[in-house]
Amino acid sequence: MPKLIEIKDLKTNFYTYEGIVHALDGINFSIREGEILGLVGETGCGKSVTALSILRLIRPPGKIEAGEVVLRLQDESSESKHPINLLDQTELLMQKVRGNEISMIFQEASEALNPVYSVNDQVSESFLLHRQKELCQGVLKEIEQDLRKGSSFFRRSILNMERSIYLRMRGNPSSFLLAILTFLPIVRSYKRRMVNQARTESIKLLRMLGIPHPEEVVRRYPHELSGGMQQRVVIAMALACSPTLLIADEPTSNLDVTIQAQILDLVRGLREKLKTSILFITHDLGVVAEMCERAVVMYAGHIVEVAPVDSLFRKPLHPYTQGLLEAVPRPGCKERLRSIKGNVPNLISPPSGCRFHPRCSFVMTKCSKRKPALKEIEKSHFVACYIHHQETEKNDT
Amino acid sequence: MKTYIIRRLLLLFVVLFGVSILVFAILSLFSPEQRASVFITDVKQLRDLQEIIQTHHLDAPIHVQYYYWVKALLRGDLGWSITAQRPVLKALFYFLPNTIELALFSAPLIIVIGIWLGSVSAVHQNRLIDHTTRTLAIIGWSLPTFWFGLMLLMIFYGYFRGLLPPEALSTKANLYVQSAEFVRYTRINTIDALLNWKFWILLDALRHLVLPVITLTVVQCALVMRIMRSSMLEALGRGYITTARAKGASEATVVKRHARRNALIPVVTVSGWLIAGLAGGVVITETIFSRKGLGWWWARAAVQLDIPAILCAVLFNAILFVVTNLVVDLLYAYIDPRVTLK
Amino acid sequence: MREPKSKYQFWNELGKSVKPRVKELKFSLHRITRSPLSLVGLALILIFAMIAMLAPQLAPPKRLHEPYHIPRDGYAAAPQPPSAEHVFGTTEGQYDVYYGVIWGTRTAFRIGFMVVGATILIGLFLGSLAGYYGGLVDEIIMRLVDIFMSIPTLILAMAIVTALGHSLDNVVKALIIVGWPIYARLIRGEILQVREEDYVSAARAVGCSNALIILKHILPNSVYPMLILASLDIGAVVLVAAALSFLGLGAPVGYADWGQMVSFARNWIVGPPQNPLAYWHTITIPGLFMLFFVLGWNLLGDAFRDILDPRLRRR
Repeated sequence: MPKLIEIKDLKTNFYTYEGIVHALDGINFSIREGEILGLVGETGCGKSVTALSILRLIRPPGKIEAGEVVLRLQDESSESKHPINLLDQTELLMQKVRGNEISMIFQEASEALNPVYSVNDQVSESFLLHRQKELCQGVLKEIEQDLRKGSSFFRRSILNMERSIYLRMRGNPSSFLLAILTFLPIVRSYKRRMVNQARTESIKLLRMLGIPHPEEVVRRYPHELSGGMQQRVVIAMALACSPTLLIADEPTSNLDVTIQAQILDLVRGLREKLKTSILFITHDLGVVAEMCERAVVMYAGHIVEVAPVDSLFRKPLHPYTQGLLEAVPRPGCKERLRSIKGNVPNLISPPSGCRFHPRCSFVMTKCSKRKPALKEIEKSHFVACYIHHQETEKNDT
Repeated sequence: MKTYIIRRLLLLFVVLFGVSILVFAILSLFSPEQRASVFITDVKQLRDLQEIIQTHHLDAPIHVQYYYWVKALLRGDLGWSITAQRPVLKALFYFLPNTIELALFSAPLIIVIGIWLGSVSAVHQNRLIDHTTRTLAIIGWSLPTFWFGLMLLMIFYGYFRGLLPPEALSTKANLYVQSAEFVRYTRINTIDALLNWKFWILLDALRHLVLPVITLTVVQCALVMRIMRSSMLEALGRGYITTARAKGASEATVVKRHARRNALIPVVTVSGWLIAGLAGGVVITETIFSRKGLGWWWARAAVQLDIPAILCAVLFNAILFVVTNLVVDLLYAYIDPRVTLK
Repeated sequence: MREPKSKYQFWNELGKSVKPRVKELKFSLHRITRSPLSLVGLALILIFAMIAMLAPQLAPPKRLHEPYHIPRDGYAAAPQPPSAEHVFGTTEGQYDVYYGVIWGTRTAFRIGFMVVGATILIGLFLGSLAGYYGGLVDEIIMRLVDIFMSIPTLILAMAIVTALGHSLDNVVKALIIVGWPIYARLIRGEILQVREEDYVSAARAVGCSNALIILKHILPNSVYPMLILASLDIGAVVLVAAALSFLGLGAPVGYADWGQMVSFARNWIVGPPQNPLAYWHTITIPGLFMLFFVLGWNLLGDAFRDILDPRLRRR
């Protein structure tokens, strides 16, 4: 599968009162088209920061210092995809990418929804932001139908006026003239048709996501919905424009286990239907085993291991991954749980070289000197650890 | 919704009852002789002081006095105002238009400017514009209203030779307004001038309004600005803002559509109190600029011990406050879908 | 469970609960010194405090038993501009402006502290009653609070002062009567919030009496909001008192009170045509004193709010 998005050497810092937090220190990985990639790590290791950095949603006091986020964007005119570095683009282009090519869903669904707007308003917003041409198409069809029905002269002239407005909008959605029209008090009601069109689309989308009685649900407000419903609405907002990449930042961590299973099924089904790639961020290894094809393990702002899921679970190569897997309680196992000794480091003054070396049972002198690079040890199984580097060197010689 | 309004109106009566007790308590601080003097319009009647005390039950037990007082109140008889030389209720309606005019021009300015500055300040937090507006706000909040008004008068009336004069209208305009040619529909100068199609009077009235409105606005604006700023900062830190950005909305849309609507909710509550509390500022402003409105009347009443007028001030403001609160609560329920009227 | 064996143990336990507070206090002081605006506020107040304390030295009174009576240099009406003899000039009736503003500082502190001190005590007491006992007591006190707060401060104060008589002491009394509700409501809110907390249930479970709970758990938690409110309130109180004096309802003519001095200036806003700003000193100088005094307290109160708000503390 070709690579959809490639992240090279991404560095992100946060400038706080206590010092500079080196949240991401040279992250390298890629997401292939149509795959579900898991991003695993403890709380605070930088998973969310990675996601926000991809979408360039890092706000002061945070700053993306260096690196590249190369996305293969489908050009509108041509058929081919050409790669662009998202970190170099204008904010305007990023706004076209967000919610459109790349979408994100968040952990806390009740926080992600705006309490003063109805479900309809919030889901429609995605359509109104990015799918104006398609909406115009639908509206124009509607206007044609109304015109054919035939009515008074007054009505027909209004319809014709609306049609010309929408024809113009279809050609050039951000036309200056249209912006002016939105200000005029009576004329601005022309937007009503488009809003209704967006509403129809939202209802369709909610139905596809398995929400019962979507016509009623769209009228409700976020605080009137249950946790699972809220998360489905958030997913709807993200999927409205059929993005090529969906970033899911711990979407099920706050839900009951049964709801969690439903949401995971939903997300899996979406990949089948919409051919979306998914970056699934979680701290739960069980979810990774169930959902993902490949997995990336992060620790303290470093990527330590990248592998297909069964290879990762069968034969974890990095000491940290091994520690994680050993810490998972197994039913029926009577032995004491083995935890990783030590504590997660303070990212203001992180350990030098490999950031895991203070807690590693296999630590060597060179581990504290330089950060080990990700090297392919087995087929598609990468690890950033000097133990395995030695082995490859041995194999080479 | 209807039951809610009815219930709130009943609550209004309860509070009014409480206020009437408070007012009456203040009234009873005066001696019976002082209170009898209220009913005297002519010096000769001083002889009949004891008789007056008897007729108006001013030496009866407290609850009896209260009964008679409320009875008179409900008839619309709040007594005679010395300073206004007419019954209190009539005086109220006589002085009301000037005050309404002042409030009409000040209140929208306070709210609009306060919200706008607060929003700008929050969006550009910790940058120069934020520090400037915050400093101005805190200075505005610390200004003594009467001193500020007088300083403005000194500069714009004194130094700039009558550019922005005190009082409501110039002498020439005043004469015209009181003549037969000018129809007084509302007795509010600006509106009447508009309705009479006499623009020079409108301009004259506006010129006289500039300084009082600035005086009133500056001090209150600071409060609205601070509330809006902190409320906006809180809204901007919430999850739905990140979601909106992740959807690809422009920063302007995020601020206007998502943040502001949420941030306005606490501001609505404060605005209600502000409107009701404008009375204090109005008293001072009208006194300084010699605008003959409610505030001017009440200030003179306090100095000249015009008891019925003072009590009218307390009652009027209490009613205004309760009604404003009701309106604010309804507005609240309209804006915030999480609020249900219980 | 062990009950306090002696009074000594009671105070010992109280002292133990104070230690971490002292640490927090030190951190707060540290934060204060780092914020420039709060330092400005602190500086302003310290300057005014010194002026007030050194008033007898800075402006020796002519009549020792009536130091607040501003001395007059003659009886002419028109104010005189600043000169060597009268540093800030004289106002109507030849009252010395310099003397007036110096002793006016003392008046301001007196009014501020008396009113705010008394209102805190009354408000604390009534608010605690309402919050802790709830029920009918709470309803009555809260209705009282509602009634008082439904009338603007100035208007109600005007009414009360008119009833009691026009003097500065009555202004203080009126402001106390008008001012206690905000503290009562604050303390009641704090109590209602804290009452449901688990540590109060725990304290009650080990046999803590009501009074001890209020004293040991609730009041210390609500000290900070009260501190913020009090410092902002001092400024507001001085402003209202000045307004009342300005209207003629407070300090008598010739008394060293800033508001009273500005009321003189009302007649002298515009000077003679060739020099319209001739009498600027009568109004500007007392006004500036007022402005900076209130500004100092407001800055301090604001700084307190930024520093003591738990969410903003550790940034």
